[in-house]
Amino acid sequence: MQEHEEIVRAENLKKTFTLSKKQQRIEQTGEKRRVAVSGLSFSAYRGEIYGLLGPNGAGKTTTLRMLSTLIRPDAGDAFLCGHSIVKEPRRVRDVIGFMTSDLKLEGFFTPDYLFDFFGAMHGVEKAALATRKKELFSRFGIDKFSEVRVKNLSTGMLQKVSLVVSIVHDPEIVIFDEPTNGLDVITAKVVTDFLEELRRMGKSIILSTHIFSLVEKLCDRVGILLNGRLAAEGSLEAVAKGDLERTFFALYEGEGGRV
Amino acid sequence: MKFLALVKKEFHRFFHDPRLITTMLLPGLVIFLLYSVLGEALNTKAEARHYDVYLVGDSAVTRVIAQAATAGGDSVEWRRLGDEEEAMDAVREGKATAVIKFSENFDAAEGGKVEIFYDASNEVSAAFYSLATAALNAYGMRFTVAAQSLTSAETIGMQVLCSILPLLIVTFVFSACMSVTLESVAGEKERGTLATVLVTSVKRSHVALGKIFPLACISMLGALSSFLGTALSMPKLMGLSLNMLGAYGFWNYFLILLLILSVVPLIVSLIAVVSAYSKSVKEASAYTGMLMILSLILSLVATFVPKMGNWTVAIPVLNTVVFMQELLAGALPVWQSLVSAGVNLVLTAALVFVMTKMLSDERIMFGK
Repeated sequence: MQEHEEIVRAENLKKTFTLSKKQQRIEQTGEKRRVAVSGLSFSAYRGEIYGLLGPNGAGKTTTLRMLSTLIRPDAGDAFLCGHSIVKEPRRVRDVIGFMTSDLKLEGFFTPDYLFDFFGAMHGVEKAALATRKKELFSRFGIDKFSEVRVKNLSTGMLQKVSLVVSIVHDPEIVIFDEPTNGLDVITAKVVTDFLEELRRMGKSIILSTHIFSLVEKLCDRVGILLNGRLAAEGSLEAVAKGDLERTFFALYEGEGGRV
Repeated sequence: MKFLALVKKEFHRFFHDPRLITTMLLPGLVIFLLYSVLGEALNTKAEARHYDVYLVGDSAVTRVIAQAATAGGDSVEWRRLGDEEEAMDAVREGKATAVIKFSENFDAAEGGKVEIFYDASNEVSAAFYSLATAALNAYGMRFTVAAQSLTSAETIGMQVLCSILPLLIVTFVFSACMSVTLESVAGEKERGTLATVLVTSVKRSHVALGKIFPLACISMLGALSSFLGTALSMPKLMGLSLNMLGAYGFWNYFLILLLILSVVPLIVSLIAVVSAYSKSVKEASAYTGMLMILSLILSLVATFVPKMGNWTVAIPVLNTVVFMQELLAGALPVWQSLVSAGVNLVLTAALVFVMTKMLSDERIMFGK
């Protein structure tokens, strides 16, 4: 394994959305197009947790959706394990695990069934899948409710199932959109511990969040995203300058934001 | 492997949910019960009947028929007329119930022949025909019974059946396709579970086919249930014999099945495309409702416009109804049925392609 091996490289990513009449009315704006991400470039390295920190509407989710190939950038490209999100989206999907609250699991099925199903979707061999299921279900305590239908699980249980399903194929890069949102403190701890474990295993993690403490606890490097642009990027120490929250709000107000 | 997993998931979802199975198979049973009960009610006699029957020749068998009639609360009056044709005219005009003609020395010789002439379009005459044949069959003597309806009521009944059955089949097929496809495509899109599949490395074309193929198979079950319910109960409803279904040959049944087999995936893929486009099940239901009306209009056109011609092979749904009608009427429009099925399948392939493109379109899949 190479030290500081660049595993994610985003180059000048741009994404614009058309606002519907209804959205314009709700947001009380006359603009027909909204720039969600504007010329975003950053790199993430093997075995590190990279955090995208920003307020709602800064472009965090749009960036992660572009990286996970669910949406295409209007301009620019990103390379994950060397694969272009524009030209090789299926190859990219093979090397990533993406977890976001927008992606749901069908309530009718059990965790056991869904693990096998998504394993098959990623082309994981049966024997390897069985071993991985045993390991992950035991690690997250899912074996106790592996035959309970997803619709009958609590939020914490569901989050654990979503987590293991998203990494069923042992991806090199794990992308998490707001990983601890809506979780109780116990489940949130399980998730953050697992992210640290993944880092120790040499996996690369890109997460988005608006929680300062999460960034301070987990991230090796951080990018502060404001209005679709990176306002600051670097190691946690370099960006935080001793107080991440104060630095963030200084940048936020510098961009014309008001608290 | 990925495609198979997608197909298995859809089957698992359906076959492990008793509610889905019930909603899919119940219509066939309900149709059968409803039509049978309705047919029974329509064909059940309200009061005692009186039969005026002309005899040509004579036999002790008439006593057996009279006894059978009396046992059922009915009465028979035997009449005689010198001229056989005059008697038949009386039956045709409704002035008499039937004519029974015995061969010479009927009672004395074995192997005699008895002929019954009746009016199948007349409820009393048809009832007497049933009563007389049952009594004669139970009598046990070795003679042959020949029956002939002096009118073409069965033919008329069959014509109505041939016209209506394809329309009903297409309507049931559409309902069956709707009930599973809307939930599986629009429902999954609305709930965000389809996006979870799209973030894996499976090909979009496999996702599209992995939906349409199993849903078509499941819809086929529902359509088959409705078809059997209708086919088995319609003759009863129309006062016809179930034996009439045996009048068709292998190719008639094969081509009817082929037409159904080709129109089911077409309708499923059409609903799947509409569902993939819609943002919610509610929106998809509204669009599909309009499609169902369109399909119903095409079926009605085919039912009520006679001799539409071979150009109909090019119009989906219409082609299925038109040539199914011809097949049920006893004709064998082989090339027309094959081309119709081909047209349906080519359109299905085109719709699978469209759905594949839609699954790759972020505005459709993830647009707010």
